[in-house]
Amino acid sequence: MASTQHVLLSPAELAYLHEALSLTPPIRPDGRAPMQFRPLVAETEILPGTNGSARICFADGTEAIVGVKAEVERTRGYHGDEQEEGGEEEEEGGEERREGEREGQGEWVELTVEIPGYRDDDAGTAFLAAMLSEALLADGRFAKKLWISRRFHWKLFLDILLISPPLSYPLPLLSLTTHLALLSTRLPRLKSEGDEDPFFDDDWAAAPYLYPQGTTTTRPPITLLVMAVGRNIIFDPSKEELAVADVVLAVSVGEAATNSASTKGKGKAIGGMDIDSAAAQPGRSLRLLSVRTVDPPSRVTPPGMPNATNSAYGVAVSVQKQPEARTVEAQAVEGVWKAPRGGAKPAVMAALVQKVLERGGVADEVLDALEAVELG
Amino acid sequence: MPITITAPKAVRPSYATADNASDDSGSDSSSDNGADLEGDIPMTSSSRRKEDKSYSIVTPGEVITDDPQWMRGHGTYVSASTAAIVSSVAGTITRTNKLLSVRPLRARYTPEVGDLVVGRIVEVQAKRWRVDVGGSQLASLPLSAINLPGGILRKRTETDELQIRTFFAEGDLLVAEVQQLFSDGGAVLHTRSLKYGKLRNGVFVAVSGMGGGGGVVRSRRQVWTMEAANGAGPLDVVLGVNGFVWISKHVETPEALVAETKSATTGITNLEESVSTTMYSSQNDRIGIETMREIARIRGVVTALVENGLRVDEDMLVRGYHEAVEMALLSGGGADDIYLGGERGEQLAAALTGV
Repeated sequence: MASTQHVLLSPAELAYLHEALSLTPPIRPDGRAPMQFRPLVAETEILPGTNGSARICFADGTEAIVGVKAEVERTRGYHGDEQEEGGEEEEEGGEERREGEREGQGEWVELTVEIPGYRDDDAGTAFLAAMLSEALLADGRFAKKLWISRRFHWKLFLDILLISPPLSYPLPLLSLTTHLALLSTRLPRLKSEGDEDPFFDDDWAAAPYLYPQGTTTTRPPITLLVMAVGRNIIFDPSKEELAVADVVLAVSVGEAATNSASTKGKGKAIGGMDIDSAAAQPGRSLRLLSVRTVDPPSRVTPPGMPNATNSAYGVAVSVQKQPEARTVEAQAVEGVWKAPRGGAKPAVMAALVQKVLERGGVADEVLDALEAVELG
Repeated sequence: MPITITAPKAVRPSYATADNASDDSGSDSSSDNGADLEGDIPMTSSSRRKEDKSYSIVTPGEVITDDPQWMRGHGTYVSASTAAIVSSVAGTITRTNKLLSVRPLRARYTPEVGDLVVGRIVEVQAKRWRVDVGGSQLASLPLSAINLPGGILRKRTETDELQIRTFFAEGDLLVAEVQQLFSDGGAVLHTRSLKYGKLRNGVFVAVSGMGGGGGVVRSRRQVWTMEAANGAGPLDVVLGVNGFVWISKHVETPEALVAETKSATTGITNLEESVSTTMYSSQNDRIGIETMREIARIRGVVTALVENGLRVDEDMLVRGYHEAVEMALLSGGGADDIYLGGERGEQLAAALTGV
């Protein structure tokens, strides 16, 4: 789905990058190890008017800000309310909801992404927003946290802003910033009880965190960008690296609940295969929430021209012979770029997902590092 | 640890601006009738500004002074209503006697005749290419300003016009020289020399060019060949004045090869002829792993220099590279460790500036 932005690189550059990234171990243009992320600078609670906010920037100046705002909203479809308001809404929905205590709804979260230079209804931007909210809601437990009473709930507005022009595909940056903002989000403490009109403590210091700290409860999900070149798996690819990728996946992972009984979300529990060894190994048990393939820009890059067919190559070229040299698809010549053709191999996709979900692996360390960021 | 997340620093050390600040204070003290510029500036945090002079940044539209004794320089304008000098860019104030100018923090490249630039073709037209050189407008490269293949100063024909994409196509990188400037700031390039033409066998990195604090500066040599460590062989480095940098494997120049094979006298005509053979090739030569590693290391040094606000020129880059090789040997990873981001970059910058 949705392609990343178009990159303009020369065939010689692409051939060089592809060759360097196909080596074992790969030589990345910025010298990072294959699993290494770009160093981040992060801070939280930077926007005074929000319930929670965070800022993350890269050394190259790419910077994202996320603000979370909450608002009390009347839960639609509740039977008691409908009678007050005239009751034209469907009643059967309200009856159903009464059965399940603390049921969350996806529409309680509104997420907008803004990227400078792109319209907000641009396909790429819409796709980014969809991917981020999908990861958040696939959990099934997130919306439940917003439940106040049967008549009221919190409505959460997540405003995700990329401040700088997108120098690389911004998905992981936005995801990590959203994660931090949600960790720092606090909602006023509820004083009222039961189904009466909600009444809150006005002491901000007493407001509890949406994700209580220091406990072993779950964290917000993160979405990581992983790509493969040949047999190499590369995390947090930069723009140049994406330009030669064979496969690019956006993988959303969340923490699996500590008690395995409550795994009833719609995401598949891939982590199930190592349940037997779960107690022995360190790290969290991770749960796959969603996987999206991102169309790599490598497929639309122009192919290089081998010297043999290049009419501008050589001393005694007969310039008159070839009227217009077309870019002909030929068999691979060493040192000449050829855009990857065909789909991704299932084995490669599986290896990518497996690498993300590894116990004590990359996702685990990213979650640890994000947790270590001081709130406030 | 695959990821490092750090808290933001209060003040980022910028070596380049620190130098300027000391220069400014020197010139200021010599002119004893210099007005107290600080007092004229309506800044809320004037106390902080005084103690930390190198970070006096003005923003566009900010009134620098309304004292009529100052003259306006680059990056400023005189507002029509109040006759005050107002900044038109975001940057630091510099004073030369009574001339006030603002050095922009980050600026686009302004071409000058004779500059060596690295550019990327973005558009192909009937008789010319449009080249992105990081300036405010695209530069143009006319078909008449390139060396055509097939020999000596051949006349340009209609066939050449038709197959213009065989020389340079969209996305191709080239090194060229600014030949001419238009009055609106647009540049015309040419590649009529042995050392110019299409780039291959290496990596590209774009940093800020002339104008910003760090970045590539005009210097004696913009192109040189250096011997890389760890048996990687010679490498070519092209520092475009516009801040586009190309690092590649050094390939023996065709004229040398011709001299070898023919063992004849390489006249001017032969030279012209032979350079055209590889000028428009987009096929990479075979590059060894060691060479690729050292190319990536030099790229790392360039980005580390820029991230830490240091200038990028031959001297700094060569010193930085040797420092980086030393650092890699001392670090746990050994000579294969080429990562120079984050803390490593800061270490490197500190070693280079001797603080």
